[in-house]
Amino acid sequence: MVQGARPVLNKLAFAAAALALSLVGPAMANNVLVLNSEEASYSVIDRATRAEIQRLPVGREPHHLISTPDGKEVLIGSTVTNELLVLDSKTGEKKRVIRDIIDPYHLAFSPDGKWFVTVAYRLDHVDIFHADGFKLAGRIFIDGMPSHMAFDGASKTVYITLQQSGRVVAFDLATQAIKWNVPVGNAPAGIIMVPEDKRLVVALTGEDGVVTLDPKDGSMTGRLQTGKAAHNFWPKGDGRHWFLSNRVEGLVSVLDAQDMKVVASVKIPGGPDCMAISPDGKELWVTQRFLRRVAIVDIDTMKVIGSIPVGKSPHGVFMLQPNAPPQASSAPSKGPVVPASADQPATKR
Amino acid sequence: MRGLTDLWITVQNWIFETFVTPVIYWLGQMAWYEPAYNAVEFFMLGVLQIAVIALGMRFFERRWPLEKSGADDRLVGVDRVYTVLNKLGVIPLAIFAITYPVTTQLEVVMRGWGYAPPRLETVVPWLRDQVFLSFLLYFFLYDFAAYWLHRAQHGLAWWWSLHSLHHSQRRVTVWTDDRNHVLDDLIVTFALVLFSQLVGVQPGEYVSILMVGRLIESWSHANVDMSFGRIGEKLIVGPRFHRLHHALANPDEPHIHDHNYAPVFPIWDILFGTAVFDGKTRPTGVDDATVDADNGKGWIAQQVAVFGRFLRAVTPRALRAPVQPGLRPPAE
Repeated sequence: MVQGARPVLNKLAFAAAALALSLVGPAMANNVLVLNSEEASYSVIDRATRAEIQRLPVGREPHHLISTPDGKEVLIGSTVTNELLVLDSKTGEKKRVIRDIIDPYHLAFSPDGKWFVTVAYRLDHVDIFHADGFKLAGRIFIDGMPSHMAFDGASKTVYITLQQSGRVVAFDLATQAIKWNVPVGNAPAGIIMVPEDKRLVVALTGEDGVVTLDPKDGSMTGRLQTGKAAHNFWPKGDGRHWFLSNRVEGLVSVLDAQDMKVVASVKIPGGPDCMAISPDGKELWVTQRFLRRVAIVDIDTMKVIGSIPVGKSPHGVFMLQPNAPPQASSAPSKGPVVPASADQPATKR
Repeated sequence: MRGLTDLWITVQNWIFETFVTPVIYWLGQMAWYEPAYNAVEFFMLGVLQIAVIALGMRFFERRWPLEKSGADDRLVGVDRVYTVLNKLGVIPLAIFAITYPVTTQLEVVMRGWGYAPPRLETVVPWLRDQVFLSFLLYFFLYDFAAYWLHRAQHGLAWWWSLHSLHHSQRRVTVWTDDRNHVLDDLIVTFALVLFSQLVGVQPGEYVSILMVGRLIESWSHANVDMSFGRIGEKLIVGPRFHRLHHALANPDEPHIHDHNYAPVFPIWDILFGTAVFDGKTRPTGVDDATVDADNGKGWIAQQVAVFGRFLRAVTPRALRAPVQPGLRPPAE
């Protein structure tokens, strides 16, 4: 190579990269991210044209993604490479990688933003981190495929479903001690805390509905039929209603968590799983794991208005929102909100 | 392309929702919902592989056969049974059921000790975004392990007692690749899964490697005198290269079969001094009457007979009944 050519080439490469980033950044705003869990990629969908505009690489087997408490970043859990990919939540631009987060299948921040919790679905453990700096506070090995989680409003307790052993276990976040551990039914998955810590609602993927638990001791207080393989929740944003995917039934129900009844539903084929609501509150996006698509539901009419092809086994879905508050706390507007499985839903893999 | 993908997904979804979902839901095994869906795809890929073999590879065998039709044609039938059982996932499912809990528990224990299997991406972060290249590198590593396991299958008497079933076929064809004793399959799978865990090959990659690799291996058993060309045959294993490994030993070449072990990439034989590219054609089989007796037996009879050989091989010499000639690995 000619002497001096390398610095010039480096500068050109840097300029090209900067140009590419400047083009990618704004273009990503207002878009939707969908994690293709079995393709090591995520799809970027233009919400306006409802078309996939990019498919970008991300670790291996990404399942869920969440907003950071300040709403500035999005964390994608790459379960196989044991790391978190950090994106800018407005532009989708890659910012950095956080290493040594083992099998981060599901991930969530406590409502006060002080704790960061991951569950290792395949490797049977729960990791509780100090959110500031992601310093591990404690690792708890627990059999039974830990899958989804919810927090109490005071950020003292995390409740985790164990999909294979059919139990829900409550951990004290500060001490990592088990508060209670109870059987709830077959294959519990999504779990939410109803505002003001009134009750926990647990979706049973091995059955056809949900059960409610008393957060104090885990005692079962009720049961409601919703559809085969009730799986995961997403808050409608009014503090009262939650969308619930029923995977085998191919149905998304609207659950009134106050009166504990189903008030509406829509058929979504292909094992509906994670959900997210558009910033204008008009559309519900639902990943269709088996069909490699993401469906769009008009929330007013509860009708499917579109279905967009994406990658293999689409799982987590996230709305990029310029100038938006954190998605984790943008859900129900009344009472303490429990993000966890509610903020960026999850499921079995 | 999307049309083909949609067709594939539609069929997969239909099979899954019609036959599989009701069963696992009824059995209360919904924790395996996603893996079951992938198992359906494994089954469909198996059907596709069988179609490629039966329609594509067989075309070459019919058009340009190396060994002409004859009395040994009937020996091929049982190999078809092996292929169907393996490609459609019957044997792999049984092996998975045995190995998965063990290998997962090992990984959990390793994590408990604070050890996470390293991945190439950790050493070379650039690979994180290079899915295809990363796959190729893991494929190389996997094939490297498979090469040494294959040498062990020939070098250890007890293992040869099982693996000899694969070599006993006098009429090697595209159906022969899957002709293995289930215990041999189990041991090899277990070893390869452990190796994969150690170097960071992941389940999804493992299945892809298996699919691509086994298709290449089916072709390398074809009854044709073909290769991928002067350079290509040194990059990918073809029928001419692998047929030498199945060659019947003869007085002039008593160890001819102790060459060309590589499953997919001949580079391992080249590097470790076991490659032969002489272009000669030879009859196939094993020069041991006990092993040759596998020919003509059905699937069950072969499995039983070979298991007997295995038991004899692992029994201390002093305790063996002297009624049968001892098995000897061809390397001895």
